[in-house]
Amino acid sequence: MLDHYTPEDDTTHTGAAFTEGWMRRFAASARATEAQLTALDQQVGDGDFGTNLRAGLDATVTALDTEAVTVASTAGRAARAGGPLQTAATAFLDGVGGTSGPLFGLLLEELAVAAAGPALDLTALRAGLTGGLAAIQRVGEARPGDKTLVDALYPACEALRVCPAEAGGRTALAHASRAAWEGVRCTARLRARRGRASYVGTRATGVPDPGAVGIGLLLSSAGGVVAELAPLLAEPEPAGPS
Amino acid sequence: MVPDALAGFARVHADLVVHDEQGGFLRARSPAPTRRVGIVSGGGCGHEPLHLGFIGAGMLDAVCPGRLMASPHNRQVFDASRAVARGGGVLHLVKNYTGDRINFGIAAERLAHEGIDCARVLVDDDLASESAESAAGRRGTGATVLVEKVLGAAADTGLGLRELAGLGAELAGRCRSLAVASAAHTAPATGRAAFELAEGELEYGVGIHGERARRTVSRPPLDELVTDMTEALLTSLGPAPGESVIALVNGLGGVTRLELYGVARALALRLDGRGLVLERTLVGDFVTALDMRGFSLTLMRADTETVKWFDAPAHTPAWPR
Repeated sequence: MLDHYTPEDDTTHTGAAFTEGWMRRFAASARATEAQLTALDQQVGDGDFGTNLRAGLDATVTALDTEAVTVASTAGRAARAGGPLQTAATAFLDGVGGTSGPLFGLLLEELAVAAAGPALDLTALRAGLTGGLAAIQRVGEARPGDKTLVDALYPACEALRVCPAEAGGRTALAHASRAAWEGVRCTARLRARRGRASYVGTRATGVPDPGAVGIGLLLSSAGGVVAELAPLLAEPEPAGPS
Repeated sequence: MVPDALAGFARVHADLVVHDEQGGFLRARSPAPTRRVGIVSGGGCGHEPLHLGFIGAGMLDAVCPGRLMASPHNRQVFDASRAVARGGGVLHLVKNYTGDRINFGIAAERLAHEGIDCARVLVDDDLASESAESAAGRRGTGATVLVEKVLGAAADTGLGLRELAGLGAELAGRCRSLAVASAAHTAPATGRAAFELAEGELEYGVGIHGERARRTVSRPPLDELVTDMTEALLTSLGPAPGESVIALVNGLGGVTRLELYGVARALALRLDGRGLVLERTLVGDFVTALDMRGFSLTLMRADTETVKWFDAPAHTPAWPR
């Protein structure tokens, strides 16, 4: 899905314009998949995850639009790749109900802090995602295998850890995204031990965790808008004999 | 219902509390100037006078009320913490429920980004919810008010954040509670009882949100009931003969003082019989479940210093001494 990466992409700057575009694409992905997310969450949770994610991202877009008309803040934003990520973090932390939404805010805040420089490079991305995972685990106390968004975020961090040092921000995001979706597909096979899905026991088996899907959407949206979850949730065909 | 009640509370107690409507919290008008660490608590409404009634000098610096029996939002906790943090930081006093833990936890992460030191004391005293199978742990109930009082007095002596967090964890560990009810509270959404009990039945080990107990028993005579509850608490706490305890005989919202004093008598007799020194007893409605007809017993193992801090003056809307 994100294998369309070409090395030239990495020469493109991953500054504030890139991160702003990323958040706007994430918002478009959330709008396009809201109904699909709600359908998933109705099987394993209380059905509000798609709505909460979309509310947080709609608020993010509104805040980004407001900032764009303020000349002073535009100059400030251009200097820091993390500026638009901080805008998204605050929108999620202050405005979104439930528990998964604010947890996304924590991740975005760690990414924003890590992206204090002019570009979101591999080092910043690694620090931000790893810091976000740690914060989410401190607060939510979930471990890998509990069928939560940690199951998408943890493999994404692992992918960044082994990512070649010369990779640029876009390549690194593509690696992280691919690993996250593998993690999302794994959650369908897991039984929940934490969060709302733990109350429905084995009935959640076969359904991927909506929060984990949200992490996949976040990372994929760095490369483009996601309109359909089905191809990303389908198990890949086993490789035939070569 | 909740916003109107909050506005009313703020109006009635305007001499003691300041209502920050924008931030969604209430704070003490005149906290002790000797305090180096701000103390913030909060939780769903429906348990009054907890926590609002204990805002003020000697107890809490700020309280974040959630909606009815729902956790406050992390933004309320974040804003309240920023408003009352002192040079030594801010201490969160949290009852052990998943929603409260997560929202206070998110606020703590945000405070760290702002360079504000933050620590947490978790209150988990409810013996009935103790289970080896569940990761959730014991619920936080009646002990909250005792911890708020003793820790508040300790904070007024100028203790630092780490010392207070350590003391708070120790105090919480020295408390156990158990609650019974002969009738559920009225669920505001339906106007009917949250659960049904037959005549003469008692919910043994009930929670403060209308969650049912693990067992329903036929109601024994009061002395026998209080003896059973006290023995269960003492078995869990394991005080040595001659040790001191502080007790809370707490109404859940639908019992009379007259009945509670009868409970207090039975409790005192049992503790005397076990050779324990009952230093102080609070009797009244402190941690309620709307209008639930029931009561809870809380015991706290107390040393001389704990009793001294319990006795220290506090000036809040609901602290009775």
